[in-house]
This record gives sequence, C-alpha cells and structure tokens, in this order.
Amino acid sequence: MVIDFSFVWIAFKEILKAVPLTLILTFVPIVVGFLIGLAVALIRAHNIKFLSPIANFYVSFFRGTPAIMHIMVIYFGFPILLDYVIKKFNLPFQSNHVPIVVFVITALSLTAGSYLSEIIRSGISSVSKGQIEAAYTIGMNTFQVVKRIILPQALAQSVPNITNLIIGFLHTTSIAFLVSQKEITGAANIVASKNLKFLEAFIAAGIIYWAITLIIETIAYFLEKKAKSYSRSAF
Amino acid sequence: MIDIVGLKKSFGHNEVLKGINIHVEKGEIISILGPSGSGKTTLLRCLNYLESPDEGEIIIDDVSINARKVNKKEVYQLRKKSAMVFQGYNLFQHKTALQNVMEGLVVVQKKSVSEAKEKALKVLQKVGLENKIDAYPSQLSGGQQQRVGIARALALNPEVILFDEPTSALDPELVGEVLAVIAKIAREGKTMIIVTHEMNFAREISNRIIFMDGGVVVEEGIPQQIFTEQKEERTKQFLKRMTPELDYSI
Repeated sequence: MVIDFSFVWIAFKEILKAVPLTLILTFVPIVVGFLIGLAVALIRAHNIKFLSPIANFYVSFFRGTPAIMHIMVIYFGFPILLDYVIKKFNLPFQSNHVPIVVFVITALSLTAGSYLSEIIRSGISSVSKGQIEAAYTIGMNTFQVVKRIILPQALAQSVPNITNLIIGFLHTTSIAFLVSQKEITGAANIVASKNLKFLEAFIAAGIIYWAITLIIETIAYFLEKKAKSYSRSAF
Repeated sequence: MIDIVGLKKSFGHNEVLKGINIHVEKGEIISILGPSGSGKTTLLRCLNYLESPDEGEIIIDDVSINARKVNKKEVYQLRKKSAMVFQGYNLFQHKTALQNVMEGLVVVQKKSVSEAKEKALKVLQKVGLENKIDAYPSQLSGGQQQRVGIARALALNPEVILFDEPTSALDPELVGEVLAVIAKIAREGKTMIIVTHEMNFAREISNRIIFMDGGVVVEEGIPQQIFTEQKEERTKQFLKRMTPELDYSI
C-alpha cells in the first residue's frame, strides 16, 4: 500500500475547517470548568457544611468515570429532564431545539470542573500555613486572605497542571464525533470515508492536533514563567 | 495597657497554659523565656487568636475579649491591635518586600496606595532594606526576610508587636542584624513581647523578663533579678543550662 501524499494535503485542508469547533469544545469547558473547579476547591478546602459532601461526590464521580460516559448520559438524559420541566411549566420550547453541541459542552464542562478542582486544591495546599497566619495577624478577614494571598499563589502553582489538562482535553474532544459533532476527528472520518483513504486522513488530523498542542505548550511556557516569576525555582 | 487574665489553653488532654496572668504597660519590652513546651509560643499565639484560648480574658488597649464568649468581629478587632513577627518569617511569597509591607496598610487599614508606599518605604529604610524593596522573599537571605517581617509588623503601627522566636531559624551569622533591628525599634518606645532563646539579648533589651515553665509563669522581674538572683529553683536550672560556663581546661 502506498501513501497518497497529495490526499493528505486535501484532507488537511478539509479537516482544518473543523478546528474552530474543536477549539470551542476544548476551551469553553475549560473556562466553565475552571469556575466550577474554583468553587468546588474552596468549598472542600474550607469544609463547608452540606456543600462539602456534595462537592466530594461530584469530584469522585466525574473523575471516576470517562468523559465519553458524561457526554452520553447528558446527551440522552438531559432532553428527558428538559421535556419534563417544559411540560410541567408549559414552556413554549422543545428539547430538540437545543443544539447537540450544548450538551457536549455541558458534559465536558462538568468533566473539566472535577479535574480542575483537584488541580486548584493541590495549588491551595501548596501555600504555606505560615503565610495564611501572617495574613490573619495583619488583620485580614478570610475573604481577603483567600483572594489576596491564597489564590494568586495557588493559581500560579496550577499553571503547568492546567496546561496538561487543556492538552488532554483537546484530544478528548475527539469523542464528540460519537454524537455527530464535526470536530477534527469527525471531519477526518468523513473525508476518509468519502474517498476511502483512512490513513491519509488521520495522518492529516494528527498533524493538526500536534500543531495545536505545540501552540498551547508555547503559550503555556511563557505564562508559566510569568506566573512563577516570584519564585527562584522557575527556570 | 495589655492584660492577660486567667488564660487557659489545652490541646486535647494536654493543658499547655494553666491560667496565665500578665500585665504589660505601654512601652514595656517583655521577654518571655522558658524551656520548649513551656507554653510561651502558645501564649503569644493566643494574644492574636492564632490559637483560641479555652478560658480567660485578653485586653489590649480598648479591645477586651473573654474566651468563653468571643465572636469573629472581636477577634478581628483584637488582631488589629497587634502584629506578629514569626520564627519562619512567613512573608507573602508572591509579593515583593515593598508589597509585603504595603499589604496590610492598603487592604486592612484602607490607606491610599501612595500613602501606604510612602509609609512602607520609610519603615523599610528603618530596617536597612531600602535597596531591596523590589526583591521577592525568595531572593532575600533569612536575615533580610526577617527584617521585612519586622517592617511589615512595624508599618501597621500596632499597640504591641509580638515576636515569636524571631532569630531561631536564622544562620548564626545573620542573628546579629535582626537583633540590632529589634533593639532599634525597642529604643523608640514600641511595646513588645518577645519569645526568645537569646539570653544575652533578652537581658540587654528587656524592661522585664517572664520565665515560664509547664504552662505557668514561674517567675518575673527585671533582667538583673532574673539573671543573677533567681528566687525559683526552676529558673536557676534553666538559666544554668542556657548560659553554660564553659570549662576550657584540658
């Protein structure tokens, strides 16, 4: 079998059109998940009554099950729930009006939130107890201590782990193809089946994934350097 | 100005403070001495509620707290009356020396940034770090970090500065610079309570020395009395251990 390099180029151009959707499926869940993760990490770090057990369950469940399962459960389960609510309140709305991509983003946001909460939590625990005590002794309240002393250092500490998660998530978006989202892997599959040239199409897809990863890594490198500029251990 | 009345604190079954009574006048410099485990650090940490005492009263200036019925607001008020210098410096690692000193002025005392900066620069100059203002803690030596810690406390202009073994974590050659800064502040009439193992320093700088052991104040008095004519056997034993007369004969 011979590789048809000219088709790699054709597939490459075709798959490139799927990049925006892939980036949306990667970064929207990361941003939403960051907010979820921050809230969950703070709830767990301060061991807040009632919320803490819920947060623990959330993290345990979503880290303990694969992302594809979250997508499937929400893709099939959420419309049922939505229809029930619509019926109950007589809303002028139907669940099949909701674009599928919303389900995928919801599911991936919850996945990302569980991972990010653990990343942020380890960042929080890296801030020495002495600094927190010092902040209290100069008269700060808990909110000020969290905002001004704990989070800036916790987040700076989290940058490398968040980078890893983003790269992992970029690749995880490939499963959105299973609910007919035309992201990179989906586009590769389509162009491959049309022309029966699977190897070429996936080589092209691989190059695109790799290129995006390299861009993310480069940006993260500079961000990491900046975030940890106060520490001697950053090279 | 400072009154500690019947202060008790236990960790589990271990009673660390067994009813402490201390009175401190404005401008006094008190050193607390005692063997490790005697409760001196716990006492100091109760004064700003880093530890909550189980029983007793703490009065600093116009803030009075009863350990049995204390609320969060009172704790915040009490903390604003004092500032602490820690054994491990505890500087904010993500802030420069200047920012460390400015933090409390801006965030807690609500001073304008320019006013806070002016004040912070003045205090940093006093501790001899005017050319290190933009350095992060990781770029400073232990002695320099502790001097920033002292500046951070001093800038707040508290009623009392609490020193928790300020030189214990320092390399021996860096102890001197920190003690010199503390002595300088002492001469300016700031009320200070110092927990320390530096016997000579305590003797030179203090108006009064408190010797603690086993969670109680064993003896207190002017340095002269504590160091030369102790009344209590326990004080005598401790000082003998801490200031050994070396025998160089072969």
